[in-house]
Amino acid sequence: MSTQENDDDRIALLQGTLDLLILKTLVLGPCHGQGVARQIQRQSEEVFLVDHGSLYVALQRLEDKKWIRAKWGVSDNNRKARFYSLTPKGREQLVEKTGEWRRLTRAMGLILDSSGGFQGEEA
Amino acid sequence: MFKHKRSAQDFAEEIKAHLALEADELKREGLNEDHARWQARREFGNVRAAQERFYLKGRWAGLDRFLRDVRFGLRSLRQSPGFAATAILTLALGVGANTAVFSVMNAVLLKSLPVSDPDRLVYLRTSNPPRGTGTIDSNQTFSYSVYDALRQQSKGLSPVMAYVPLSSSKVAVRYEGQPEEAEGDMVSGTFFAGLGVNLPLGRGLSEEDETNHAPIAVISYNYWTRRFARNPDVLGRTLYVNGIPVTIVGISAAGFEGVEPGGSTDFWIPLQSRRELNAWGNPPEDGKTFIADSKWWCLRMIGRLAPGVSRTQALAQLQPVFQTSAYAGLGGSPMTGEKPPVLSLADAKSFPGYDDMYGNPLRIMMAMVGLVLLIALANVVMLLMARNAARQREFSVRQALGAGRGELLRQLLTESLILVSVGGALAWAFAAMATRLLGQWAQIESSLAPDKTVLLFTLGVLLIAALLFGLAPLRVALAGKAELALKTSAATSNANAGKSRNGKIIVALQMALCVVLLVGAGLLIRTLRNLENTPLGMKVDGLVVFGVKPDIPSIPVGHAFYQSLIGKLRVLPGVESVTVSEERLGGWWSDNSDMQVDGRLPDVANGASRTVRSNVAGPDFFRTLGVPVLAGRDFADSDTASSAPVGIINEQFAQRFLPNLNPLGHTIGTDDGRYTMTIVGVVKDHKYRSIDEEPIPMAWYEYAQIPMAGPMTVEMRVHGDPLAILPSARKTVQQMDPNLPLIRPMTQRAQFETTISRQILFARLAGFFGFLAVVLVATGLYGTLAYRVSMRTAEIGVRMAVGARREQVVWMILKDSLLLTAVGVVMGIPLAMTVGHALASSLYGVKPLDALTYLLAVAGVTLVALAATAVPAGRAASVDPMRALRTE
Repeated sequence: MSTQENDDDRIALLQGTLDLLILKTLVLGPCHGQGVARQIQRQSEEVFLVDHGSLYVALQRLEDKKWIRAKWGVSDNNRKARFYSLTPKGREQLVEKTGEWRRLTRAMGLILDSSGGFQGEEA
Repeated sequence: MFKHKRSAQDFAEEIKAHLALEADELKREGLNEDHARWQARREFGNVRAAQERFYLKGRWAGLDRFLRDVRFGLRSLRQSPGFAATAILTLALGVGANTAVFSVMNAVLLKSLPVSDPDRLVYLRTSNPPRGTGTIDSNQTFSYSVYDALRQQSKGLSPVMAYVPLSSSKVAVRYEGQPEEAEGDMVSGTFFAGLGVNLPLGRGLSEEDETNHAPIAVISYNYWTRRFARNPDVLGRTLYVNGIPVTIVGISAAGFEGVEPGGSTDFWIPLQSRRELNAWGNPPEDGKTFIADSKWWCLRMIGRLAPGVSRTQALAQLQPVFQTSAYAGLGGSPMTGEKPPVLSLADAKSFPGYDDMYGNPLRIMMAMVGLVLLIALANVVMLLMARNAARQREFSVRQALGAGRGELLRQLLTESLILVSVGGALAWAFAAMATRLLGQWAQIESSLAPDKTVLLFTLGVLLIAALLFGLAPLRVALAGKAELALKTSAATSNANAGKSRNGKIIVALQMALCVVLLVGAGLLIRTLRNLENTPLGMKVDGLVVFGVKPDIPSIPVGHAFYQSLIGKLRVLPGVESVTVSEERLGGWWSDNSDMQVDGRLPDVANGASRTVRSNVAGPDFFRTLGVPVLAGRDFADSDTASSAPVGIINEQFAQRFLPNLNPLGHTIGTDDGRYTMTIVGVVKDHKYRSIDEEPIPMAWYEYAQIPMAGPMTVEMRVHGDPLAILPSARKTVQQMDPNLPLIRPMTQRAQFETTISRQILFARLAGFFGFLAVVLVATGLYGTLAYRVSMRTAEIGVRMAVGARREQVVWMILKDSLLLTAVGVVMGIPLAMTVGHALASSLYGVKPLDALTYLLAVAGVTLVALAATAVPAGRAASVDPMRALRTE
């Protein structure tokens, strides 16, 4: 959908990871969409590329699931913005998803680091 | 689920805020105002896509899109209501006719008997009955002694079951004081267990019940529902059958209606041995009921193959047992020169008798409605193609505006789905109605209600239709590339569609199918004409017939009753003559047996049958019927029990058994020689059992002279409307006995027509389907041509502007459809000939290659083509060249 060129070594987000990242970002306190996007990009040392369209759709999805809630407010530099904050349900989900993710990365690591001698090259 | 839904506007607002925030941040990082805003935008990507995703998110996107498509489809169909109505009606008729015929076929031919493991059930058949026996059906009925031997000695079949109705139509029953009629069978004790019929309530019959002739009955689920409103208390209650009390002990499984061919049995009792409950309701002969009378082959039999035994093995084991038992009571062995009967086993999986009665007609009918469906589908496809070709510019514009092929396909499929759903619903309603009517006309008593198989069949047809209707026009739709939208002239943009070859091919094929249907219908209708116009050999007009069943304690009382009845009816005003007979003419029944001629069974030349049909008749019999007496005399009042016994024969009898002799004065008699009579008359051959039969030898006994008296049929010849005499006849009968109803009163003509009711039904339906095909082809052709003419309006305008005359324009259009007709006829005739051959067995008095029928069929399609062309051609001729050109 997006025609943005991927001319640097940033990685498009894996399906399903965006939700987790949003929840994690919001743990620090309420934030608007643009802030969340910046936050993720910065925290990942500019590795993750956040498609802003997807971000807003994801925010809406999480809101519908009642993991986060939103309120219009005013930003630091006096701009109108929609601020998102974590609900208790969202906190639970964060813990759960983080655990899941850890297990996944550990398992992936085990496989990729094993000295199995198979060096696949994917096109 | 949609509550608190955020508006799309709010979402847009948020994105705007995001862009502002991002731009601020970028400015802080050192970009100038414009660049920052541009960069923010660039980073965001496709704003619209995000908004669209927002819009679609949270809904069942597919459903939403579907509803939108449906709304759009409905709107576009509403713009052409004529098209929509034609398409839906065509589809409803085509699919409805198929569903109706299929559900009859399903109920009658395809469904298995509702018993366990019906594949292992077989009917017992014999090649012929032994000489000297009387039968109900010469291939299907057996004597009790044969049944008894097979039942006891059969190892291949276990068990062998016999069943026989208590009456040739219905039997008198009474439950709590109310007399009525029902269909009842006497059956083996093993009947329910052997067939594997469940009894949801009560018990079945046992072998002990058969041995003891127990007065108990099992009633059918249908009868239980109809008569007793499924009251479980009927168990243990008493049902009086011909006045004999029997106790209801069980209810049979729903859907089981016995194994009588084409019938629906209401109750079953064990085989009985008493005069009131004799097989077929006959009076006992010489005091013997069917059990004691080994010369009366009246029982049908069905058996279950024993586990692990093949049909061949079972037959091999049964054959000798059968051939020995066949001659029990007949001297033990075949007479010299007699071919002994051979037993065979026939499939009993399906409902009995229906295949013989309806198999062929139904299969042909199914093929016919199949063709009608093809025509109907082709019609709708053509209509759709024409319509969509006319919409080509719409499609082009939509493609130019960015609609993908997928979108167009979806829209077309949705439109077809709408047509098919509405048409399908109508078809189902139409089929339900038609099925009921079919069942009534064909007098099929078992349930024809559509079941799951029928539903699946219909849905399958509809699915095919939906796909066909959706996909066929797609090609046309896509053929119009986006650039087409830029062309402005109708003359150029539609030129291709106007010359579409597919449309022509379809019309020609429809014409071919139409020829086939018309030939089929024509042959059957001519068959019907022939049957209706077959000379019966008597004067049926003015004849009325009814049955009476008086209580007859002794033979003289019986004779006296009928003598008195005839006397009283004769003097009623308007009555010309009155007579009685045992068998009713045109009622399918006949009493067949061998007869002695001059003291011995006659020799017949080259293996011809010796069977003689006989009847018992009263005075003035042939004068009343209007059958010419060729030699001698009719029966008369002077023939009584005390005068010398007399008999009358027909021409066939004389030719076969008394060739080249004057038959008058010869003696004939029963095959055992116990009753003899002198031939006093020879009458002309006439129709007896049914209209489509060939004459066979016949003999008549005089009713007052034979040592038997039972129910009789009264024939009255009257002036004026025959049925008008019935009230006074009823009064006369009830003056003699207030309890006597007139049984099945009707004109003799109506009685004979019952014997061709199936042919009548068949021909009428075929005619109807032929007509339907013609109408469909006409609409299809009209639609196609009208559309093509409208497409060519500009071209015609140009032609006329440069000097073409009106006749030339009309001829141009006419030539088109005549050419199509010619091609269709050439393709259709060989097909029709094949169909004609398939129909051969259902035809009467007309050859499968009847030239007249073919000519009429061809004339029919030509006429249809001309009629369908007339309007468009007229329209083409009246095109005003200036207007036609200016419309662009």
